[in-house]
Amino acid sequence: MTSWAVPTLGMPLPMAAAGNTGDVLIELGVILIVLALLGRLAARIGIPSIPLYLLAGLLMGDGGIIPVAAGEEFLEIGAQIGVVLLLLLLGLEYSPQDLRDGMKSNWRAGLLDLVANGVPGFAVGLILGWSITASLLLGGVTYISSSGIIARLLDDFDRMANRETPVILSLLVMEDIVMAIFLPLMAVLLVGATLAQGAIAAAVAIGLVAIAFLVSMRFSTHVNKMVHSHSRELLLLGVLGLTFLVAGLAEAVQVSAAVGAFLLGLTLSGQVADDVRGLLPPLRDVFGGLFFVFFGIGIDPRDLLPVLLPAIGLAIVTAVTKISTGIWAASRAGIGPKGQWRTGLSLVPRGEFSIVIAGLGVAAGAQVQLGPLAAAYVLILAFAGSILMRFADRIPSPLKAARPVKQVGREPGS
Amino acid sequence: MELFETPLPGVGVRYEFTAEGGDHVGVVVRRDGKRDIALYDREDPDSCRGTIELSEGDASKVAELLGGTNITARLEELKHNVEGLAIEWVTMPDGGGLVGKTIGDGRIRTETSASVVAVIRGEAAIPGPEPTFSLAPGDTVLVMGSATAVRQATQILTG
Repeated sequence: MTSWAVPTLGMPLPMAAAGNTGDVLIELGVILIVLALLGRLAARIGIPSIPLYLLAGLLMGDGGIIPVAAGEEFLEIGAQIGVVLLLLLLGLEYSPQDLRDGMKSNWRAGLLDLVANGVPGFAVGLILGWSITASLLLGGVTYISSSGIIARLLDDFDRMANRETPVILSLLVMEDIVMAIFLPLMAVLLVGATLAQGAIAAAVAIGLVAIAFLVSMRFSTHVNKMVHSHSRELLLLGVLGLTFLVAGLAEAVQVSAAVGAFLLGLTLSGQVADDVRGLLPPLRDVFGGLFFVFFGIGIDPRDLLPVLLPAIGLAIVTAVTKISTGIWAASRAGIGPKGQWRTGLSLVPRGEFSIVIAGLGVAAGAQVQLGPLAAAYVLILAFAGSILMRFADRIPSPLKAARPVKQVGREPGS
Repeated sequence: MELFETPLPGVGVRYEFTAEGGDHVGVVVRRDGKRDIALYDREDPDSCRGTIELSEGDASKVAELLGGTNITARLEELKHNVEGLAIEWVTMPDGGGLVGKTIGDGRIRTETSASVVAVIRGEAAIPGPEPTFSLAPGDTVLVMGSATAVRQATQILTG
């Protein structure tokens, strides 16, 4: 028993193993309870839980108040599983039909979104003297909105039926498509390939996705039969097994487990996709929580100070660019000025995927400041973005003034 | 009444219509079967004055209250799940076809391979009617089979 447990925990001394297992469990218990309490707090005051988890991580570990040492190795694996599940479900979130429709009708808004929100991050990276790869990663961090936070809040604030909501969701779909290209490209660049090699690798990855799409559409009944089961246990085992296998293989060929899981998510469809969407979210939330904590633990809060200014600057600039993107997309869809304003404000929150992108760079050692900067940036925009979303109707819109609606109001009085 | 359908990627489908009284109503059918009913704001037609969130069970209860029969919805679901299987509700005409004759007289199974699964007469459903069952005007006959078979069977039934 002990001889089996020792190598798993990476403990060289068999003597210490028993005590250490206890320590790991205690630490893990403390972390999970902290997450549970923070999650309740977040729900009570109506903010997303991701920034709180991140904050908890910052307060633990190096330079934090609560030291975490014994469980770090387990936490690392837990965090890795969290990333894999986050990206699997991101890939699964939209059906191939959604992606096709999104590509056809929203590519202009999607392109504007990418340029307006990716370029500021990329530029700041270059100004800070980072490498091109690290700057591209920062561009990804500032580009991608948090579909997790946004979808949750749209639901909480009863805006799912609103007419501007399809505009918001279709922009998120476009970001999903961009990720399918961006993630493999970054994964390749991070292992030190040139931009051209990266482009080729990304093209190959996209080709594979396309083939997998075709296969999954043609043979979806076979895949269904293989993975599908009425027993939740068997279904979970099958899906998790397949996911970890694909993620591990992707990691082995240097494409990063996260990317592998994402591509697998994109290719799963039909009944299996529905089943997985019903089954995996709680598991993703637990391991995803561990991932945010782990990301925070890896950052010394003292490192936040030097990057605070760029983070605040980027947050302001990219909040404005996201709002403008939303307004533009909504106005093209024929949404009224109030709805345009809500669309813009709803796109501001950044969250899990910004952290995932930064995590790729941190794991590869691309840039030491990337982690702290991304953490500060996400903290600011996850909080600010959800507040902007909540009070969207009460925040005076600059768009209203520009419209001659006011005159209608004045008429009865005069 | 005109019903507009908008896909909500990652969520489901939104239907909207303007009621005769002028109220603008939206219904979101979520992927997991939940429904939201929303009443749009007249001042800001893009937003809702309020929404009602209904579970799948709530929704079918409300549908019953509103006068719909949820058997149709369930069959719709079945139709979606089984590819290559067509289901048709055939209302018997006042005369002609198999009106006044028995199901066996039509030799539907032999000629078309489609099956008569049930007959609905007034409020009562008769599942699995015998070949000796005699059809009356206004009966609704539920036919199942391949698309072609169902089409042919409809022809035999209605004449």
